[in-house]
Amino acid sequence: MARLVPLLFAIAFLGAVYGLPLLRLAKNRLVVGEPVYALDGAGIVAGFGPEIEAVSALVLGAALLARAGRTRVGLGAATALLALALALLVLALGNTAEDLLAGEPPAARAGLAAGAWAGLALLAGGLAHLSGRMAVPGLGAGLAVAVLTFVGVAYAAGALGSLSLAVEFAARGPAVGGALVRHLLLSGGAVLMAVCGAVLLSLWRRGQGLVAILVGGIQVVPAVALLGALVALASGLLRAVPSLREAGFSALGPAPALVGIAAYLLLPLWRGLALALAAPDPATLDAAEALGLTPRKILFEVRLPIGAGILIGALRVACVQAIGLATLGALVGAGGLGGIVFDGMAQFAPDLILLGAIPIVVLSLAVERALSRVEDRVRRTA
Amino acid sequence: MNVRRALRPALGALVAGLVLAALSHPAIASAIVAGLGDVPRRALTPGYLAALALQHLILAATGLALVATAGIGLGILATRPGAGSLRGGVDTLAAAAQAVPPVVVVALALPVLGFGGPPTLLALVFYGIMPTLRGTVGALEAVPAEAREAATALGLTARQTLTRIELPLAVPAIVETLRTALALAVAVAAVGALAGAATLGTPIVAGLQNQNTVPMLQGAAATAALAFLCDAAMVAVAGVLRR
Repeated sequence: MARLVPLLFAIAFLGAVYGLPLLRLAKNRLVVGEPVYALDGAGIVAGFGPEIEAVSALVLGAALLARAGRTRVGLGAATALLALALALLVLALGNTAEDLLAGEPPAARAGLAAGAWAGLALLAGGLAHLSGRMAVPGLGAGLAVAVLTFVGVAYAAGALGSLSLAVEFAARGPAVGGALVRHLLLSGGAVLMAVCGAVLLSLWRRGQGLVAILVGGIQVVPAVALLGALVALASGLLRAVPSLREAGFSALGPAPALVGIAAYLLLPLWRGLALALAAPDPATLDAAEALGLTPRKILFEVRLPIGAGILIGALRVACVQAIGLATLGALVGAGGLGGIVFDGMAQFAPDLILLGAIPIVVLSLAVERALSRVEDRVRRTA
Repeated sequence: MNVRRALRPALGALVAGLVLAALSHPAIASAIVAGLGDVPRRALTPGYLAALALQHLILAATGLALVATAGIGLGILATRPGAGSLRGGVDTLAAAAQAVPPVVVVALALPVLGFGGPPTLLALVFYGIMPTLRGTVGALEAVPAEAREAATALGLTARQTLTRIELPLAVPAIVETLRTALALAVAVAAVGALAGAATLGTPIVAGLQNQNTVPMLQGAAATAALAFLCDAAMVAVAGVLRR
């Protein structure tokens, strides 16, 4: 079975780049354009040169190496081939987009199509899989940074300037940056609020049964409904206490979004805290007590260090959820990357949607990977 | 008597659902909004809310059926002997799929699939399938090895072991997974209102856009009510099965 995976991977990649359109040439940014395939004659417009054949050869080579290779050298060579294939595919897409647009009116757009997305995703997944198999510390993160840097440099050098996503980014770059910062503030603020809330809830020893019902019940309520109800309640509260409005609060904006997002994070954080505090076995606690440690010292020097892995695991789940939920924050006027996504939906502009969606996905994947790395390390040393 | 005891855990969610459903009634929602100091404007009729709730339920149920079929089917495949190397891949994929929020899937599918149900359904399946798959794998792996060995010793074939021993033992945990999947499905169907699907999320989104508090509150209460009632139903099913 393990030997089949590289071959299935290569077949899936070839199917994606040859069977699906790689680009779409559209009259403007709002219409879904005509498909452009890798093979001349298969699509409406011909465009791609021999680059796709070269990329496919690299991927086949990498698959054969990964299939045969049990050694680090073999897997390393496969990784290098895949990385090269990824770089070449990105450049080929940029080049062909430029060729396609030559002679077209300025409103025309050449956008990435299903085949390109599937191919890029497969290459990224393949790189992640190989770096996992090689078990070289930091290789996965290094590769991710290298790929992002390569795309950034290629964009700065103008090699990708004709792709519709780059055109959209050129028009809205600063707005995306601002939305990214706001998104981080929203999700970070909500995580902070939820951490404080979870600590307070677990301090209420007698009410743990009620707390379990409440934080579990919140999970059942759909986020859209909770946000809507919070806005309704906030507007009532502002009418009852007008001085809050003077203090800068409003029914729409970051306040209901922060409260709403934090409410969903209570369950993983509260549960993680309870599990972490219960993690040390009774004998350890007895020993600590016998040594004359005060309850405070037992908490900070025994319970928390032993439960640290569980705590970071809970924090990881909460952070990934927060980044996803913050997208909905734009619904109640809190801004963030969700605002860009919703603008794109309102205009029916695929590239604008992607401009908001890609940072969200990259952000949550990065946070997930980084925190699970920390979690693994803490669990190993604990 | 036995049935009644099995259904008791569902009572809390049932009461929560019924209270929220009452809150979504135009008279009560208008009274609350008036109590909050706002002037209540046009409320939605119970008939319209019920129609939206039905569409919401159909969308969520369709999504759950797809998710259950694919997730449980793939989960059974991934736990067969010989698929051992797939396990790590399942966990990695599940984590990666979780990184794409449902709103983003709805938004990305919008230009390709158009307005309405299809992008919502895609988001439902995309977001629900990996947790269900992972839950099924966990449930099947929790079946004691002795049970499997005993089945083999009795001369049961691999298929008989699966249908007569493993699945019956794993059913409570699988139902628990489906309960989470249904809660997700109801939530994603509400998000689908952003893509123009007519669900209980529609009055919330419209209410937020034109600052009309009554339909917003009605939609929010009705969506939450539907979520709690679905949860109560799943808890009841789990209770009856475990009996």
